[in-house]
Amino acid sequence: MNEAVVDESGTDGVMRARFDYARPATAQEAIKLKSQLGEKARYWAGGTDMTLLWQRSEIQFDHCIDIRQLDELDYISVEPDSIRIGAMASLSLLERSAEAHHLLATLSDITKLMCTPQTRTLATVGGNLCNASPASDLSPAFVAMNAQVVILGEDGERSVGMFEFFEGVNKTALRGTELLKEVTIPLPSAGQIAASYRRIDRTVVDIALVNAASALTVSDSGEIKKASIALGAVAPVIVRSEAAAQPLIGRTLDELDDAMLAAAGEAASKDAKPISDVRASAGYRRDMVKVMVRRSLADCVEQLKG
Amino acid sequence: MTMLKVNNRTLEVTSRPDRTLADVLRNDLGLIGVRVSCSEGECGSCTVLVGGEPCTSCLMLVNQAEGQDITTIEGIGSQDDLHPIQQAFIEEQGFQCAFCTPGFIMSAKAFLAENPNPTADEVSVAMSGNICRCGAYPYIVRSVLRAAEKLRKSSGQQAAE
Ligand SMILES: Cc1cc2nc3c(=O)[nH]c(=O)nc-3n(C[C@H](O)[C@H](O)[C@H](O)COP(=O)(O)OP(=O)(O)OC[C@H]3O[C@@H](n4cnc5c(N)ncnc54)[C@H](O)[C@@H]3O)c2cc1C
Ligand code: FES
Ligand code: FES
Repeated sequence: MNEAVVDESGTDGVMRARFDYARPATAQEAIKLKSQLGEKARYWAGGTDMTLLWQRSEIQFDHCIDIRQLDELDYISVEPDSIRIGAMASLSLLERSAEAHHLLATLSDITKLMCTPQTRTLATVGGNLCNASPASDLSPAFVAMNAQVVILGEDGERSVGMFEFFEGVNKTALRGTELLKEVTIPLPSAGQIAASYRRIDRTVVDIALVNAASALTVSDSGEIKKASIALGAVAPVIVRSEAAAQPLIGRTLDELDDAMLAAAGEAASKDAKPISDVRASAGYRRDMVKVMVRRSLADCVEQLKG
Repeated sequence: MTMLKVNNRTLEVTSRPDRTLADVLRNDLGLIGVRVSCSEGECGSCTVLVGGEPCTSCLMLVNQAEGQDITTIEGIGSQDDLHPIQQAFIEEQGFQCAFCTPGFIMSAKAFLAENPNPTADEVSVAMSGNICRCGAYPYIVRSVLRAAEKLRKSSGQQAAE
């Protein structure tokens, strides 16, 4: 592998790797360019993760393929059977989309916990997912909502489950020149869905110490048809706790009392594999999983009882 | 060559692409009201408006701003003709060393355009991406509230005229 040329870039005296820049006009052009330029060309969206990696010399790359202004990937649309969020939708667009659907309202509340107002205008939903941080605030919510992602490649499109998309810390199902196009959240054809997200953090700009998202789908008679619980920051990838969700299915909303919600929290905490680090100990994280899961479920129940 | 529209002027900038917008604004264009402190998106001192939206210019590549309207603190008022938000910061003493002030004012400008009549709590949330190391926060909130009042008055006057 070639070493990136490090030179004094800019006049601020900070040493950073040099790179070339291209702004393709379409997503297909971006993919073509990446296949021509090879391994060391990087897609660059809002750059809120990329700039830090570049400034700290944590990645080696020689070409920036700027996809931030691809309008074809910049949308949020509500359809009868799904909500579609383009990869280049900014966190601030998501923040402002609360009125369009109650699941978007849940996501909008999440964005308010993320970054800062003046970085949310830059940061994109797609960039957040492609960065594949286990502490991302959006990932567990999308996993709980059973979202799919649409991936664009040289030979067309393919779909992957949001849960399967994450393969490790900063590792995704994207291969070679592939580009993330869209997140699709399926909407139930009958009944109602609610989702909720909780996180523990130290300060507003800090990332989550532990987070959890839940989603419940109920029939018109109030019977739980689907339940999904996702945990973040407790393993290299988002954890989906079947053990916590399964016992809820077939119950009615009224049956979900405090004891049942607490049991779900306990079960989820057994699925969490947290580490101890400067932010928190593993034990604390495991305890907080119980609380986050219980509260996010209680919140879904409240929304559904309306 | 990059064409930048800064403070209503179109400028041709010759720059390598591997530079941030903040770096070029400060070091090539001399717009030193754009302050750079953390270079990591945390402190907000480099906040400028790009296409009317507040952005941390330390996290933007210079080419990414090409073709969009960029506004820095230098573009909103001058020493002889202060912007109402600048005037309000002086009247309410919304700073001590003033390093953070341009960033706060640019955030306030974007925020007040969306919410002309905010509460103190809404101002605090809107300013959460700006850090003031001197801790002038209570004065900053008051400054933004006073700025809102000034801007409402002047837009009311314009409407009446
Ligand atoms: C001050 C600050 C606070 C933050 N706080 C939070 C927080 O609270 N919660 C949180 O979750 N995150 C937080 N972040 C992280 C960050 O903002 C997000 O991860 C952001 O959404 C990334 O999006 P981007 O468009 O900036 O991505 P970029 O930095 O442009 O790209 C990120 C990665 O994804 C790749 N990529 C981007 N788009 C695509 C695509 N469409 N297809 C294929 N690959 C792609 C890039 O090559 C790169 O590897 C914070 C960041 C900062 C600077
Ligand atoms: S210098 Fe840009 S946010 Fe701190
Ligand atoms: S006035 Fe000194 S940093 Fe804010």
